[in-house]
Amino acid sequence: MAEPQAKGSEGGERNASATEQKAVNGWLADLARGSRLWIRGTVVAGTIAGIATIIQMVLLARIIHLGVIDEVPVADLTPLFLSLILALVIRALGQGFQTRFAARCSEQVRRDARRQLHKHWQATGPVELGQSSAGTLAREWIDHVEALHGYFARFLPQMTLSMIVPLLILALVFWLDWLAGIFLLLSAPLIPLFMALVGMGAEKLNQQHFETISRLSGQFLDKVRGLTTLQLFGQTAGAAELIRKRSDHYRRVTMKTLRVAFLSSGVLEFFASVAIAVIAIYIGFGLLGYITYGPSEDLTLFSGLLILLLAPEFFQPLRTLSQHYHDRAAAMGAGTEILERLESPVNVENTTEIAPVEGADDRIELRSVSKTFRTDQSVLRDLTLTIRKAEVIALTGPSGGGKSTLLHLLAGFLAPDTGEMHLFGEAPGSFRFGWLGQKGFLVQGTWADNLRLTTPDASDIAIETALRNVGLGSLLDSRKQGIYSPVSEEGQGLSGGQARRLSLARIFLADYDLILLDEPTAGLDSDSEVFVLEALHKLAVAGKTLIFSTHHQALLTLANRVLLVSDGEVRDA
Amino acid sequence: MRDLKPWLDLIFKRPGRLVVGGFLILATLLSGIGLLAVSGWFITETALVGLLLAAGVAATINLYVPGGAIRFFAVSRTVFRYLERVYNHDIVLRLLTDIRVALFQRLSRASRVRRGELSGAQWLSRLTSDVDALDTLYLRLIAPTALACLVTLLVVILAAVLFDIGTALLVGLLLIIALVIATAGVYLRTWRLAARQSDRQEELRTAVIEHIEGFPELTAAGRTGKHAAWLMRQAHQVTSEQAKADTRVGWHLAGSHLFVNLSAVLALWAGFALFQSGSVSGPVLVLMPIALLGLAEVYAMLPDAFGKLGATVASAARLNRDCREEEQSVTATATVLPPKTALLADNIAVKHPGYAPLFTRFNLEIENGERIGILGHSGSGKSSLADVLAGLLPTAQGSLARKDCVYLTQKTVLFEDTLRANLLLGSPEASDTELWSILEQMELAERFASEPNQLDTWLGSAGSRLSGGEARRVALARVLLNPAPLVILDEPFTGLDAETRARVSKRMETLLEGKTVVSLAHGPDALPGTDRVIYLSV
Repeated sequence: MAEPQAKGSEGGERNASATEQKAVNGWLADLARGSRLWIRGTVVAGTIAGIATIIQMVLLARIIHLGVIDEVPVADLTPLFLSLILALVIRALGQGFQTRFAARCSEQVRRDARRQLHKHWQATGPVELGQSSAGTLAREWIDHVEALHGYFARFLPQMTLSMIVPLLILALVFWLDWLAGIFLLLSAPLIPLFMALVGMGAEKLNQQHFETISRLSGQFLDKVRGLTTLQLFGQTAGAAELIRKRSDHYRRVTMKTLRVAFLSSGVLEFFASVAIAVIAIYIGFGLLGYITYGPSEDLTLFSGLLILLLAPEFFQPLRTLSQHYHDRAAAMGAGTEILERLESPVNVENTTEIAPVEGADDRIELRSVSKTFRTDQSVLRDLTLTIRKAEVIALTGPSGGGKSTLLHLLAGFLAPDTGEMHLFGEAPGSFRFGWLGQKGFLVQGTWADNLRLTTPDASDIAIETALRNVGLGSLLDSRKQGIYSPVSEEGQGLSGGQARRLSLARIFLADYDLILLDEPTAGLDSDSEVFVLEALHKLAVAGKTLIFSTHHQALLTLANRVLLVSDGEVRDA
Repeated sequence: MRDLKPWLDLIFKRPGRLVVGGFLILATLLSGIGLLAVSGWFITETALVGLLLAAGVAATINLYVPGGAIRFFAVSRTVFRYLERVYNHDIVLRLLTDIRVALFQRLSRASRVRRGELSGAQWLSRLTSDVDALDTLYLRLIAPTALACLVTLLVVILAAVLFDIGTALLVGLLLIIALVIATAGVYLRTWRLAARQSDRQEELRTAVIEHIEGFPELTAAGRTGKHAAWLMRQAHQVTSEQAKADTRVGWHLAGSHLFVNLSAVLALWAGFALFQSGSVSGPVLVLMPIALLGLAEVYAMLPDAFGKLGATVASAARLNRDCREEEQSVTATATVLPPKTALLADNIAVKHPGYAPLFTRFNLEIENGERIGILGHSGSGKSSLADVLAGLLPTAQGSLARKDCVYLTQKTVLFEDTLRANLLLGSPEASDTELWSILEQMELAERFASEPNQLDTWLGSAGSRLSGGEARRVALARVLLNPAPLVILDEPFTGLDAETRARVSKRMETLLEGKTVVSLAHGPDALPGTDRVIYLSV
């Protein structure tokens, strides 16, 4: 059993070329521009927290120096202690507001991204959209957009903060003791190098993690879905052992990569630790007067301690950034896929708006309509056709002959390349009509929910009548709460035929003038077939215009006009 | 919280590893605190000695011990951090294996009906995000919390030893406040939001999938906009709840940080009184607050983990609910199978839990070697009857006795695995010759002989894609390989064209020689050869 859902989310990232990456960066930047106020707020709050931290350390060092070296009585230090507490409170407020603004920023970004995607779906239209699985589209709309969260809430502001705060600290340390400043600065050119290392490690780690998890999950899910089969053959114990073995195998493979990936972040850690150690020992020796050159003669407990206290804070923003590095990788991966979707071609709307055609509201007319897909052969060529109101039209012909395309054109799901068409004097898709695809469509909820989806104000009686019209009456009777019983999705839910009949019931309920149906009986069991035929007959008798594609003999008999669609041409059969 | 118990039990089955992993984290944390604290002590000591030296007073300082300690802590922090990460990720992956296997075993004992209650997407999220939430429980939550408590205790003891009991208690009080803010406080303020998140996301996913599947119909009815607006509101609600939870976690982190810092300030303030009375030296006075500042890093990982705890508990609860073992339904008085009979159903009812019975008072007696056909149109409960006969669905009343059976379900189930593995399910000991022979009978031998990997051809999405008819015949071959004396076939020829069906059906006559066969189908032409046919009608 295939499990494509778990895969692919990082596929784009792996193959992302430089230009693609640039495009994704551009898209992310656009999103950031949309909520730049929140991002700025996050950075400002973070900077305030950083400055408060520096002040905290200055006051700490000052208090210690005054108390230990100058032996100032503790009572005289009270104002300094109180200022210190004030600095701590400001620091906490800065930290708190930083996360608050970051959360708001990410919230805004995710809304924007979802809106963009949905707009694109609308523009793409049902036909092109149907080319992608609903699961994939849902994953893009939910999970990929979620994957942007870390980038905007954590990584992006931290990028700026990891520049501002260390620079402030560096400036202060230089002023205190330029030699210590040089120690910190010396590690600075190394930092981009660490970051690259860490980044590469993180990216690899991220990929490996995703791949392993999704492959494992895929196999695991496969076994769980087929559990009944395994039980029937008494093979569950063997399958459990297999899961253990495979899972263990993946552990070993993953650990190999992780050992390397963690090394690169270990390097950053190492330099941070060593820098602190070197500074501590340098200051100690300087204070003892063992170092006779440079600025170390001027070192005091205040300046020495302050430099020591600031050293970890110098590295902290970088360490935080490296922890969030995978957020960037995740956002890039998700962004690549979202962007790919957003850049996929949309259904070009026919720009020449059709003004309502006077006196033509009793017929559907197509004049010289052509439609070509990407290949050079046209699906429909120079088609001229008139269909009268209340006619029942069957479209027949070989598969790939253009039956579905014609239906999609009539529905307005596709726009013709050339030619003009109007339906009862109006543009295709500009009014409500009935559509029945090859798959029925139902939502989780009650029968009533399902029917009110397209006709919100339908009465209970109308709903029940519609369901009985499509032969779902006996099923409804077996449910305890009638139309307010749930239509369950799987298991004891509806068969494919019953689902299609449910869709047909919506059409009955809505009382449309025009009803388009794509192979309404294909793949139905004989039982459902009878009900669908009967229902279509009722609609025809009620004076609706029915147009359907079919090969089915009984349906061809139902039609009062049969059109043969073949090789881009349409003629009466 | 009780929902976590079975999973915690599973995690604690590896106590040795957990202790080593925990020790490595502890060593990392203590090295970090030690590095700064000893450096602070060293700088203060050198400053004081430096002043004495400058004043011409003879003073000595031992440079080797603190210098060595500083260098040691700098290296040990890095080394322990690396070892800790590698070792603990290995544990996480081991736990993942344990959890998956345990889950699978529980599932295999759970009732099929319950498994059927969830859609594919729901299973996917159970088996990925819910399991993920549990396998990181140790690394994200248990270990950091336990170690934060331990380190706090050590620091408080240090304060008691270096300063005095009163200061130690005050510092301890502030630290406990910080700890509570970072743990229980976060949990209490976020669990409701976090627990809802996953369900909300699942509902949202279902809604999005429905929206897309119904896109043509909704477009035709002119309702895409309305439905999309509703969908967008749902999504916004999920996102803003998430943002709310994130914000709360952030404030708690800041609050806990504030109290850690306050404890350092307090230690310094109280320490000065001791310093000026001469009971504490300057370097020790400096060491204590710096060690306390280092605790911020220890507490920093807690709020995030506790912010997710609500979701983790909800994950555990979902897994417990969906994988709970079926209370063994009391097998109705075991009916003894009369001689020469392969199956005896006495007055049974076919009923899905929570639904009206499909039919009641069903009687059937099948003799050894008999071929029975059961015909019924869709929705007549044919497959449910097959499930009952095969024992997948318990009988609601009456009694059922039968010989060992093998059952071809209406749905074709093949695994993402090799052709061989798929076939061997039917008969684990079958030889390659037997496998090829059955493939020959099913007219599949040529199809797979041309594949480069032959019997090891990979089936499923990653490998060779089978047509519906081919997949059905593989499933049928698997059933025919099985030696069970009773064979139940539900729509055996789905997806086969009429000619293939006729040929395969004919060969099955010989393959099923001597076995009892019950075939179910919607029409007579979809049945293999039968001795008698039963019609189901509602």
